[in-house]
Amino acid sequence: MDPLTIIIAAPLAAAGLVAVIPGNYRFLIRVIALLATLLSAAVAIWVFAEFEPGASGLQFETRSVWVKSLGIGYHVGLDGVNVGLVLMGALVAFAAACVSREIAERVKEYYVLLLLMAGGILGAFLSWDMFGFYFFHELALVPTFLMIGIWGRGDDRVYATYQITLYLSFGALLVLVGLIAVYVQCGANTFDMVELQRHVAQTPIPAAAQRWMFPLLMFGFGVLVSLWPFHSWAPTGYAAAPTGVAMLHAGVIKKFGLLGLIRVALPLLPEGAREWIPVMGVLAVGNLLYGGWVAMRQSDLNRLLGYSSVAHMGFAFLGLASLTVLGVTGAVVVMIAHGFLAGLNFALSGYLRRVAGTTQMDRMGGLMDKVPFIGALLVMAMLAGCGVPGFANFVGELLVLFGAWEVNKTWVVVAAWAGLVVGAVYTLRAVRTILHGPLRTELATVADPAGAWHRSAYALPVVALLLFGVVPGLLIARIEPDAEAVSGTIATRIEMKAAGEVGSIVRGAVAAAGVGVRQ
Amino acid sequence: MLPLISAAGITLFGLRRPRLAGVLSVGAAAGVAVLSLLVFTGTPFGEWWECSAEWLSVGELNVPVALRFDPLSLTMGLIVAWVSFVIHVYSLGYMRGDRGFGRYFAGLSLFLFSMLLIVLAGNLLVLFIGWELVGVSSYLLIGFWYQRPAAADASKKAFLLNRLGDFGFLVGLLLVWSKTGTVDISELECKLALDPGLLGSLATAAGLLIFCGVLGKSAQFPLHVWLPDAMEGPTPVSALIHAATMVAAGVYLLCRVFFLLALPGSAALELIAWVGAFTALLAAVIATQQDDIKRILAYSTLSQLGYMVMAVGASSVSRPPVAAMYHLSTHACFKALLFLGAGSVICAVHHEQNIWRMGALGKKMPVTFVTFLIAALALAGVPPLSGFFSKESILASVLESNVAARHALFAVAVAVAALTGFYMTRLVAVTFFGPERTQIAGQARESGMILTIPLLILAVPSAFAGFWGIDSAYASQFKGAAVEHAGVFGRIAAAFTHSPVATLWGLGAAIVGIVTGLAVYWNAATDRLPEKLGLVAGWARNRFYFDELYAALNEATHEFLSRLADGVDRWVISGIMVRGVHGSIELAGRLLRLTQTGNIQIHAVLLGAGIAILLLIVLQH
Repeated sequence: MDPLTIIIAAPLAAAGLVAVIPGNYRFLIRVIALLATLLSAAVAIWVFAEFEPGASGLQFETRSVWVKSLGIGYHVGLDGVNVGLVLMGALVAFAAACVSREIAERVKEYYVLLLLMAGGILGAFLSWDMFGFYFFHELALVPTFLMIGIWGRGDDRVYATYQITLYLSFGALLVLVGLIAVYVQCGANTFDMVELQRHVAQTPIPAAAQRWMFPLLMFGFGVLVSLWPFHSWAPTGYAAAPTGVAMLHAGVIKKFGLLGLIRVALPLLPEGAREWIPVMGVLAVGNLLYGGWVAMRQSDLNRLLGYSSVAHMGFAFLGLASLTVLGVTGAVVVMIAHGFLAGLNFALSGYLRRVAGTTQMDRMGGLMDKVPFIGALLVMAMLAGCGVPGFANFVGELLVLFGAWEVNKTWVVVAAWAGLVVGAVYTLRAVRTILHGPLRTELATVADPAGAWHRSAYALPVVALLLFGVVPGLLIARIEPDAEAVSGTIATRIEMKAAGEVGSIVRGAVAAAGVGVRQ
Repeated sequence: MLPLISAAGITLFGLRRPRLAGVLSVGAAAGVAVLSLLVFTGTPFGEWWECSAEWLSVGELNVPVALRFDPLSLTMGLIVAWVSFVIHVYSLGYMRGDRGFGRYFAGLSLFLFSMLLIVLAGNLLVLFIGWELVGVSSYLLIGFWYQRPAAADASKKAFLLNRLGDFGFLVGLLLVWSKTGTVDISELECKLALDPGLLGSLATAAGLLIFCGVLGKSAQFPLHVWLPDAMEGPTPVSALIHAATMVAAGVYLLCRVFFLLALPGSAALELIAWVGAFTALLAAVIATQQDDIKRILAYSTLSQLGYMVMAVGASSVSRPPVAAMYHLSTHACFKALLFLGAGSVICAVHHEQNIWRMGALGKKMPVTFVTFLIAALALAGVPPLSGFFSKESILASVLESNVAARHALFAVAVAVAALTGFYMTRLVAVTFFGPERTQIAGQARESGMILTIPLLILAVPSAFAGFWGIDSAYASQFKGAAVEHAGVFGRIAAAFTHSPVATLWGLGAAIVGIVTGLAVYWNAATDRLPEKLGLVAGWARNRFYFDELYAALNEATHEFLSRLADGVDRWVISGIMVRGVHGSIELAGRLLRLTQTGNIQIHAVLLGAGIAILLLIVLQH
């Protein structure tokens, strides 16, 4: 069986297995979940290492037809953009499974749903068939309702779960309409993305159609990634979710929308992109600035992290909106780095909640003495969040800023302000309130996680962030050729459209010409 | 790389093992010091070389990890390495017994790594990375005793203000890159030499934006308020980071990109000179009324940094900023010595930092006293100590510069020299002379060897560095004329003949300051100045209320905006839009439900009404 299918199938099969085990075999259930996600993670690491940067076409590809008349099939493969995302997703899923040991009731149902979520989103990342893409995402999304509703925390968890599920479903609905529209308008009778791209290169979708299809996809995917002003579901949802779910949602599932933009919206609808991208750029800056400012006012750590997550997505959107190689590469790096960061953040906050009994920051204080390991990781996470070099987020943000500079300097200046200054304000405020200062007496019994095994779940994302921060070449070598292709094809197709020409273009030549043609 | 390995090693293994942490860190520092000396002596005078490795390369952005070894970086690197090494050793003694011993040295090693990255950077992005990391190490070390709210707040303030400067720096960097296509320093220099108009009208803007970074890091006005608060950190940290090295990084950056600032048509340098002068004056005035020994030294650092910045601003292509770097180097030595000496004093009087609770320490702590005195006199600019030569060169360069307002700048510089003499005399007189003001002061003893030996080591360059030809080393960087000196007396004489006006004014000012200080503070029981100067003294004591002003400004703008955003989020977006959508759908549902009454007659009526409407529509068309 090919490695990619193993990555998807391991959590799903484990979910099925856990479903038939009686609920009181809790230890066995946990072990199965851990092993399944570990297997996915291990294969993902192997596949990442074996990936050949810059080779044309998909790697580790598997294809099989499912519904021939509609052109739906099972098509998974790796290209430069999703190889890093899959790695991040699998590792965060593993970490999420690790930290879920805090769940005490209805363990079996929880793990079934968690594994479904993990398998779903990994499948979405790996899919090159639009139908599969959407299907796997829904598979990841639907359990959210149950998970936040049943195992969630806080008084408003019922409201939160309704809000997040309905809001995201609304976004997904827009996406569905958009995807079907693309299918119909292309007229190629296939849902396969690779084939669609080839088809559109020869017969582009009419510009008028693009103009209403692109905003559908843009806002649809945007809602899924908490594009401003459609972001309200994120902080409430993450605050109410159990730790593992928050990690998966903020870290992994959120990136689905961005991937959709890169895979479907941008390559297939270049005319629409040209019209609507400036809107996305402005909204991206809104994400950054607004998310940062509201984060400053939060007294609940989870909500602060939620708004911080909204803000970081602004960088990713900005990178995509720039349509340059630098920007798109930066956007993908931000996606990967933020995935690790969000996973780390929510894991840490979950731990703090467990030992301190609250996520209200002003009820914590001086914890650095008691939980030095977690505290040190929190400091690192916060520093990574405001873009300190040495962590992968810095690399991504830097690339985005440089990439977007030529497109619109004001956006970049505002984005830099929001990222550097506002970001530092709320992250340092969090550190100051939680870790520094005198220790509160009611927290005297707090302690670090014991043992290396338990600590490893928290250490894993930090190691990844540091690794990719110090050696960004690992990521960039893989991402850049495909980012170049994405930005290049769009630029060239816009050029072509403007000149009124239609011709067939080889992907490699596009990449070469695209950079020079960049507007 | 050595310090980075040390930092990583300590973090992973040594946090609970003080001895290991100390060994690793000091070992790394020693290694760096030795290596820097080897490289310095191994490089032929005036030449430079580079080495680089691929790091980040996407599209048109190419950022290798490039290191550049030219006279500027080698000399600065040498000073950084050796001062750091001495302070590492000192820290072994000062921090002994502290619970966070390992953490301290990890931070110190991280700092050394980042500082070296800045000094040796071959391109502006690597420099920026080092710049940010130095800010991080500073944050970690200032807030070292994080249980103290004052320390935690101070570290946050330092990082945020630094970040403000970094923001400007980054935007300036983007500007330069977009116009020239490169961030590599040698390439930039070449391109701008070939085509000075490359940056066009943005040259001033780019220069000033990069200067923003300097404002933050070197604590110039208006971002100066973090440095005095940073004294909450352990004294060796204050010595290393906030006196000798990190704050000097700003001046170093200015010299590094000097070719950028000196472009024809760029008005950046003049503004820089004025900012420097203003800071120098402001800080010197505040220093005269501070009572905490470390704060006096902190404000003194601010003032001296202003001096250096002013010197850079007063330079030009034909008169490169050698004076600034010269003063930077000598200042690193004697300021570090002052701080370490202060640390020794603080230890001896059981962590009391108010000078009015010390006194008569001169007899009880001879080594500390003598070294402190040497450093203080060097700071005031008394010949033949090193400070005299470097200060003289700054004064001379200001007077001889092309800046239109150079006489005004010179007047400010002289005034600052006088004030410097004054407040340093105040410090020395009150701390080391005069009556024993408290019992603790009476019981003070000289500190142990591990504290005093570094003091002695640093006293040597503080005294004699004027004779070591540092300025020639820097001059070779800028292809400027290297001034030849002959012998000890030759040098002193040269200082007078080279620029007599400047030197005499500078010396005169220093003497005036010292004499006035002695007159007011010799054997003083309390500070008599507030009575005499009243309001001005009060302002100086309260640091001209800058902190309060900034807090209010921050409230009015940023906090306000964030409150606004939060309000919008809660009421408009979540409230009206999301719940509005929710509510309206629910309302629509309820309304529609009303039609489903289950009552046959109502249904019949509705059916009829519906048919009627449909017929109407169909018949219309």
